[in-house]
Amino acid sequence: MRVETFELKLAHRDGRLAVLEVGGYINNEAGEAIAETAGTLLAEGHQVLLLDLSHTRIINSIGISLLLEVLERIMEVGGTLAFCALSPSIAKTFQIMGLAQYTQIYPDRAAALAALSPPL
Amino acid sequence: MDDGNRRRIVLPRQPHAELAAVPLVDLLGERLGFSHDTLAEIKLAVVEACLNALEYGQGAVEVEVVAFPEEQPARLEITVTDHGGGFDARAVPPPHLESKLHAARKRGWGIELMRHLMDEVEVNSTPGLTRVRLMRKRKEA
Repeated sequence: MRVETFELKLAHRDGRLAVLEVGGYINNEAGEAIAETAGTLLAEGHQVLLLDLSHTRIINSIGISLLLEVLERIMEVGGTLAFCALSPSIAKTFQIMGLAQYTQIYPDRAAALAALSPPL
Repeated sequence: MDDGNRRRIVLPRQPHAELAAVPLVDLLGERLGFSHDTLAEIKLAVVEACLNALEYGQGAVEVEVVAFPEEQPARLEITVTDHGGGFDARAVPPPHLESKLHAARKRGWGIELMRHLMDEVEVNSTPGLTRVRLMRKRKEA
């Protein structure tokens, strides 16, 4: 995949939880696409949103600012924004910003699903 | 002008232009023996500097990447030059997530990220000429 390619896929949804796979470069266009999809999922009642970044290559500050819009909207409805499979540089970026204070961050999707899925 | 340890590019005015210097960072950074993770951090900082230059600068935006393999420790320097109105980097307040979450404008993270991701960030800016120099040292074993 070319570094500037962006891919967004709804990978899973179950009750309040929805999982989006985000690949490539998160810039302004990608951030807007994520925000739009998140808005649709929120309107459908998915208030726990997990962004799987295992195929995200690079992120820029404009994309990050759009993720903050998503976070704000989720917080307004008492939901949860979670991330998993961050590359070390993206993890460091989130740490610099202090995002861990407002979001849930998991090492991989299995750990995230175990923590976020409702008990059977 | 290019030699083995110095590469220069003028960013094209087209989508994703901020990524145009990334291959040069990879090329010279790998030559210096930077780890993949360190290079990813450097590239993120360079993308931020290029975004600022493309957004606020006018005319050509130039990026020069220079490797210093003989220095102890070896280091990589990237200079991004634009010809915009200039700005006072000291007057840019550090962003705080809590206030950004309640603000209409959520941008303004670029310089903060550069400062944390690089060993040195130097901004020299006057009307018509802004130079942002980013430096990262190689960690010695």
